[in-house]
Amino acid sequence: MPPFHLIDPTRLAVELAYTLIVVFLCFTIYYKTREIFDLTKHEGIKYFRITFLFFGLAYISRFISVLLKLMVVTFDIYFPIHIFGIFPLVFIGYFSTMAILSLTYSILWKKLHIKHTFLLFNVIAVLISGIAFFSRSPSILILAQAVLLIFTSIIIAHYIFSNSRKISRLYILYILFFLFWIVNLIALGPRRLLPFEIQTVFQVISIAVIGIIYYKVAKWT
Amino acid sequence: MKRKRDRLEVIYDILKIIRHYNNSIKPTPLLRYSNLSSQSFSEYLSELLKKGFIKEIIDENGRKFFTLTDKGFEYLEKYKLIIGFINEFEL
Repeated sequence: MPPFHLIDPTRLAVELAYTLIVVFLCFTIYYKTREIFDLTKHEGIKYFRITFLFFGLAYISRFISVLLKLMVVTFDIYFPIHIFGIFPLVFIGYFSTMAILSLTYSILWKKLHIKHTFLLFNVIAVLISGIAFFSRSPSILILAQAVLLIFTSIIIAHYIFSNSRKISRLYILYILFFLFWIVNLIALGPRRLLPFEIQTVFQVISIAVIGIIYYKVAKWT
Repeated sequence: MKRKRDRLEVIYDILKIIRHYNNSIKPTPLLRYSNLSSQSFSEYLSELLKKGFIKEIIDENGRKFFTLTDKGFEYLEKYKLIIGFINEFEL
């Protein structure tokens, strides 16, 4: 079996550039929406903007996880990956779950009226990162996140159809955003399921999706 | 039937009325023009004072007026952008 995730400068450069661009876009969206949130204290805006804060942090954690893996294999250094490698995974689980739930709630908050929303989201996020911690397996994390994404996508779809009976462009954008996050997680798996070239194509499209969201934000802020 | 105004729209209407009356209006006409029940009006007024959108001024004869702060003017200026943003992302 060929060695997996062997570092090569191109792959590292692509991962780094991808992370930098996505994190920059996410944090800029968070920063740019600060003023309208301060003026309105609008619940939807609050959850919309923290989505991008958490996604930014999730992407940073993901990059650290990929980097650790590549370093261990390539430089043949001793690194207790079974101990330290697990922490980025736990943070990925926590931050991305918070982001997914926040984005869903930003659309549904008028209908749902959940009490102690932030606390509830934290409990779910800690549970999912707990799964990542105890299983020590990216595959289990991918599975847990996929279940969460399917569940939240169905809820959003149900809400949108009951309101307008047509698929909005925004919904497609969010679904793509969720989908590409799962593709990003697959890169953390024990085997390379996607060839590097295909993964890079997905990353480029993923940047385009976040770029469109950024453009829509910049138009109003 | 007229649709119910949402919270941000009510705030916008109140601030717009104050600005329209040379940035100084007494509570009673403000209540009348804002088209709210007195209970809702009191709640909105407290919120606007607390958030620093308006301030209360009492003149030498002891009459109370409301006036916009810089933040209040900023809200009026940005209102269309805020609503555009909320509609764009269906928030």
